[in-house]
Amino acid sequence: MNIEHSLQKAEQILAPWNKETTHPESNRLDVSIAVNDLRPAVTALHKSHCGYLSAITGLDLGPESGQMEALYHFCCGAEITTLRIRLPRTNNATLPTIEDIIPPATFFERELHEMLGFKIAGAKSNERLFIPDDWPEDVYPLREDFSIEQAKPVEGRHADELPDEGVVGGNTFVIPIGPQHPALKEPGHFEFTVDGEIVTAASMRLGYAHRGIEKAAESRNWIQNLYLFERICGICSHTHAMAYSMGVEKLAQVEVPPRAQTIRELVAGLERIHSHLLWLGVAAHEAGFDTLFMYSWRDRETVMNLLEQLTGNRVNYSANVLGGVKCDVQPEQAKAIKEGLNYLETRVRHYLDVVTTDTMFLNRTRGIGTISYEEAEEFGLLGPTARASGLLRDVRVEAPYAAYAYFPISGVIETNGDLEARCVVRLKELLVSCFALRTIIDNLPAGPLTVRMPRKIPAGETISRVEAPRGELFYYIKSNGGDHPARVHIRTPSLCNWVSVLEKAVGRQLADVPMLIAGMDPCFSCNDRLVTTRDHTGNRKTWSWKQLREYGIEYYKR
Amino acid sequence: MNTLISLTSLLIFPAGLTLVVVGMLYEWVDRKLVARFQNRVGPRWFQPFADMLKLLAKEQITPGINNQILFFGLPIVAISGALTSALYVPLIGLPPAYSFPGDLVVTIYLLSLLTMCTGLAGWNTSSRFSLIGATRTLTQLFAYEAPFLLALLGPSLAAGSWQISMINTYAGNHWLIISQPVGFIVALIGLMGKLELPPFDAPEAETEIVAGALTEYSGRGLAMFKVGKSIELIVGITLVSAFYLGGVHGVLPFLAKTLGVLFLMTMLQSLLTRLRIDQTVGLWWRFGTILVLAQILFTILVKGGLL
Repeated sequence: MNIEHSLQKAEQILAPWNKETTHPESNRLDVSIAVNDLRPAVTALHKSHCGYLSAITGLDLGPESGQMEALYHFCCGAEITTLRIRLPRTNNATLPTIEDIIPPATFFERELHEMLGFKIAGAKSNERLFIPDDWPEDVYPLREDFSIEQAKPVEGRHADELPDEGVVGGNTFVIPIGPQHPALKEPGHFEFTVDGEIVTAASMRLGYAHRGIEKAAESRNWIQNLYLFERICGICSHTHAMAYSMGVEKLAQVEVPPRAQTIRELVAGLERIHSHLLWLGVAAHEAGFDTLFMYSWRDRETVMNLLEQLTGNRVNYSANVLGGVKCDVQPEQAKAIKEGLNYLETRVRHYLDVVTTDTMFLNRTRGIGTISYEEAEEFGLLGPTARASGLLRDVRVEAPYAAYAYFPISGVIETNGDLEARCVVRLKELLVSCFALRTIIDNLPAGPLTVRMPRKIPAGETISRVEAPRGELFYYIKSNGGDHPARVHIRTPSLCNWVSVLEKAVGRQLADVPMLIAGMDPCFSCNDRLVTTRDHTGNRKTWSWKQLREYGIEYYKR
Repeated sequence: MNTLISLTSLLIFPAGLTLVVVGMLYEWVDRKLVARFQNRVGPRWFQPFADMLKLLAKEQITPGINNQILFFGLPIVAISGALTSALYVPLIGLPPAYSFPGDLVVTIYLLSLLTMCTGLAGWNTSSRFSLIGATRTLTQLFAYEAPFLLALLGPSLAAGSWQISMINTYAGNHWLIISQPVGFIVALIGLMGKLELPPFDAPEAETEIVAGALTEYSGRGLAMFKVGKSIELIVGITLVSAFYLGGVHGVLPFLAKTLGVLFLMTMLQSLLTRLRIDQTVGLWWRFGTILVLAQILFTILVKGGLL
């Protein structure tokens, strides 16, 4: 009812540029527009608050059709409005940039450019974001006719050119953090220009863990891909597998039995507990509070053991199969889970008490890195990072999937937007999760665990969104009717949250920076590299290394 | 004969080897207690020795440094400063090996030598982590040094002497922790700042600047700094217990009192979150110094019979 209404509203807004409208699924609206109408259409959607830009998917329709497509997905609650633009499949297919309208679009546009060879007109930077620096020009890995022979490294270039200079000028110099650094558990590279202890500029590049999974998916069959996607992330492996299987099941028009749906939610809930406790430990360690770090990781063992009991694995649980789940909940497991949850709940309440009352810890979190509601919306933040600023972005609440409609969870919101709020949001979410999981254990519906899935999935495309511990996880899946996917596009929540670190680091003390990085719970495996920064005057820029350095030198000459 | 005694007291007992061994045992107690407080198993008793042996056996890498002599010399100066300072304190409850009026001041300066050397060592390399670490080390030095000195001045005023052994004797009859509680707290926390223990470990905050000023040190040089630090730990604790906890006379009281102080320090270490460097400086100058000054004023007034 509501969905229909808001889809109609979006359709009306887009009417002036509309070439063709379809409703592929009950909650989706597909609008084909001309490339020149992109900017006005996006502006109109953005101004009328018809959702936020969730992802941009690029599609290569193959050499025979000679066309490529760019899909701009706007999500609002359960409803998804997609703008489709078709362009000829040449190296000159040009899209106008929308990064000045929606800042986080920069990351998506870079990906479009590097992976599929769309030119982005008006983009501030053409620095490489995902692919290495020694990748040859005009070779696009996600094109249909790409072959690995084309990807020979260009001689004389390094895969990863790091600058060697340290001193920028005067008292200012660059503190490099990463790719290998005690603060980081995963490879990423940050450069913080500091004047004494104050950070005056921030930049980063990622991509040290890029594994080409989207490309690999195209050569594996539907079932093999389940295991591939589960390995995108070691912490939220279940959400990846769940998003993928839900999408495939939607394409195959298979209804998963309620018991399987509920067990999916159960595992996802346990995974969230494990992820947030892990995060709390990391955040405490970054702040220099190792006791909290040790305690929260000790308690995390409880939930890891529960997951192991339930699924047989501690990390990549492999609970999902296409069409259901693998593991059942036995009565003794149910008992163990309830006991574990009771223990964890008391612990979480204790930690909530610690992070809100411990003066020394509050010194490092209260009022630091504050993101207002408006900024959160502008940066396109997701998950707990957004919810700490009062922006309720939670797919579980907005568009219930799996069993979330039957076992609902309440969205947790904090309004302060600082690091303390981000701690509190995550811990309160754990309390909500504990409550929901207990209800699930008590009311687990009976029935089979799986349904039969066809080996070949009917042609079509679908979008599957799941709330990972870090925010909305977005899967676009397209099938040509074969036994392997034609295209899978994944947008992970970390990619959208990076802005919050770089924007907020400038002007803060160096000592706060690790906390800011940890504050968004980054997952490096999930995303790749970029260079972006913000200067004192508040202009957002996406800069290359050399530009940044020159700017720094110029700035301090004055 | 005299030379032989001097050499023995310098190299074997009470300074030198004994001190190194005792210092490392205390370091182990510190690590073990913190680990237990954090619900970890913690290292076995020989871990600090194993660490040092490993470091001594390893190659010392000389990275891009400004001054070779300083690079190799600083660890030696640091460790000798710490070792020498032990000659004037009543280590293991025995009378100090050397004693002269005013040795308190000398000891305090010798103890600061290690910090100064660490700072210089950081400055001497071109590593950015070391530079930031060195700046923080020295900033912190200026923050805690004055209150720490003043906190040790309180007992010496009460005893009417600048000589550690005299104060120790005086303290044997007066538990100064009762009459000068503020001084004790400031001395204890000042010692933690001196040793860069949490929450004053901003100069070596690994999540920001790796290992701070000592990032570029490895092998022997690093081992010397580490040993210097364990010696400073034991010397510092001995001083605080001797001054505030009724003096240290005899092995058993020494062990009981110093381990008690160490226990307090480990509790604080595991309870508190790291302070940012600006917060450290603020804490010392806004509270530490003023409180201890008030304490000293009070002591002087009492001593002069004005109160």
